[in-house]
Amino acid sequence: MLMVKNPFRNKTRAILAIIGIAIGIATIVALGMVTGGLQNSTQSSLKAGSAEISVTKIGSGSFGSSGGTLDESLVNDLKNISGVKDAAGILRVNANISTTSGSSGSFGPMGGLYLSGISRNELNMVGIDSINGSFYAEGDSKEIILGKTAAGNLNKTVGSTINIYGTDFKVTGIFETGNFIQDGGAYVSLSTLQNLTSNNNKVSSIAVKVNPEANSSQVSQSIQNAYPNDLSATTAADQANRINQSLGAIDTASWAISLLAIIIGGVGVINTMVMSVYERTREIGVLKAVGWKNKRILGMILGESVVLTLVAAVVGIIMGIIAVEIILNFMPTSGSFSPVLTIDTLLKAFAVAFLVGILGGLYPAYRASKLAPTEALRYE
Amino acid sequence: MSEGNIIEIHNLKKNYDKGSIKALNGIDLEIKKGEFISIMGPSGSGKSTLLNMIGALDRAEEGSIKVADIDLMKETDLSEFRSQEIGFVFQMHNLIPNLTVLENVEIPMYESNLNSEQMRERALELLEAVGLREKAETNPTKLSGGERQRVAIARALVNHPSIILADEPTGALDSKTGDVILKLLKDLHSKEKVTLVMVTHEPYVAKMADRILNVLDGKIKSSS
Repeated sequence: MLMVKNPFRNKTRAILAIIGIAIGIATIVALGMVTGGLQNSTQSSLKAGSAEISVTKIGSGSFGSSGGTLDESLVNDLKNISGVKDAAGILRVNANISTTSGSSGSFGPMGGLYLSGISRNELNMVGIDSINGSFYAEGDSKEIILGKTAAGNLNKTVGSTINIYGTDFKVTGIFETGNFIQDGGAYVSLSTLQNLTSNNNKVSSIAVKVNPEANSSQVSQSIQNAYPNDLSATTAADQANRINQSLGAIDTASWAISLLAIIIGGVGVINTMVMSVYERTREIGVLKAVGWKNKRILGMILGESVVLTLVAAVVGIIMGIIAVEIILNFMPTSGSFSPVLTIDTLLKAFAVAFLVGILGGLYPAYRASKLAPTEALRYE
Repeated sequence: MSEGNIIEIHNLKKNYDKGSIKALNGIDLEIKKGEFISIMGPSGSGKSTLLNMIGALDRAEEGSIKVADIDLMKETDLSEFRSQEIGFVFQMHNLIPNLTVLENVEIPMYESNLNSEQMRERALELLEAVGLREKAETNPTKLSGGERQRVAIARALVNHPSIILADEPTGALDSKTGDVILKLLKDLHSKEKVTLVMVTHEPYVAKMADRILNVLDGKIKSSS
């Protein structure tokens, strides 16, 4: 009763203390949501049926869109390497697009539409197994399939038209893989994109699927051994590990911020609770006079401190969610990435708040419990 | 402890400021169960200190003090003693402003084994006795001075104490309201059969008691 009512007796002070702690909690929640979203996206890229190895030209980036192209004939050459089940050439470009009404759009992960060309029959190699609508026709068709996020951003549905490099493409289907880069992009047939970008018989990367009994790391090594000066092979697991390492850095930052939140919030709580105890000295004397034990008074002040910080946790969580939504709305990748609020993040927020409450309330609570009743009752 | 006595004090001494102030300078006192005692004396004479010693709010340096068969010089857990045996009524009502009247009366029962329903029942019973049952859910800041002191009396009686210690309970009230409070205290003293020890400056208030003790310089100068 007192534990819940007392923290809000001085509303301005309570609100300021709550805001101070809530900012730290909001940061923890926001970073947790971003990390959670990226982790989900990474896991989606490892889904069953997709290619396990990505082969690019040495020196090019992981996505092979800007670092140089490979000869398409290498696709068949790679199929002959032991352990390789299938291989598919992919051409990737970052395309500036315009809608049929003439307005241009720039929204992909790299500032444009992340457009890939791949044979229709090989779409399962990039994790596209099903589609809302239909796949594009093979050959030099003027048909395109869009990722769900890209379709949403461009306001396109099945049957709409999209203009790329001055050519109108009909949207035949919309896919969703769960990977935010994939879902923010689009696919056309390989030959279509080769013709459109004057990259005949060229691919940016080769997706390689290994036999079930083969080890993807060994196959990846075999590919690099076969083309030591030309090709770089990376397994999907390696890519995921690399991303997870980056996510680990965000996670470390999140813990550092948690620690700061504990220190700053803790000092704020100490200040608030010391003031509160100071103002209620006489009242604490009365509680002692009516027989309250020291440990009950200690528990009451600690409880008040924890109530304050748990309210701050709720406020901080709401602030964090709103902040992430607002920031993502203003980013160029808007809609291509879905932040995820996990139970872990929520538990972490509440655990930090609880810890701040306990640590911040400890000294004021001890002080209150040790007050001499006669002195406390004399306090004016 | 002699039969019939609830308080026995012998040669009780209490100093402040490293001995420079002798608040109690050898008090000898025996009070019988159910007695109504008034303690009079000028400011600084030691009457409130004596009350605090009986209520175990403070410890003496020398002498002996036994209250309700408990040796307060030896007892380690004085809070339990205060909770079970003593009810305090202060000059200022000392109610907690952000709690209702009912919640204020319930506060001493937190250290008892009663559940919330039993606590509520007992608090309402006491509020009925002091004529404030209808104000149970009211905030004390909305009550008059006399009403607040009646709530404080209900709070003092809620744990069935054997002794009520009242430190100038009418000191902050006008004479008419003060008389109402005194009558209430005297009635409850008779009805609940509690020992009542009251510190006062007012001779007419003191005369209501069975016995008047005059305290001066930390000693009992007379008992009548």
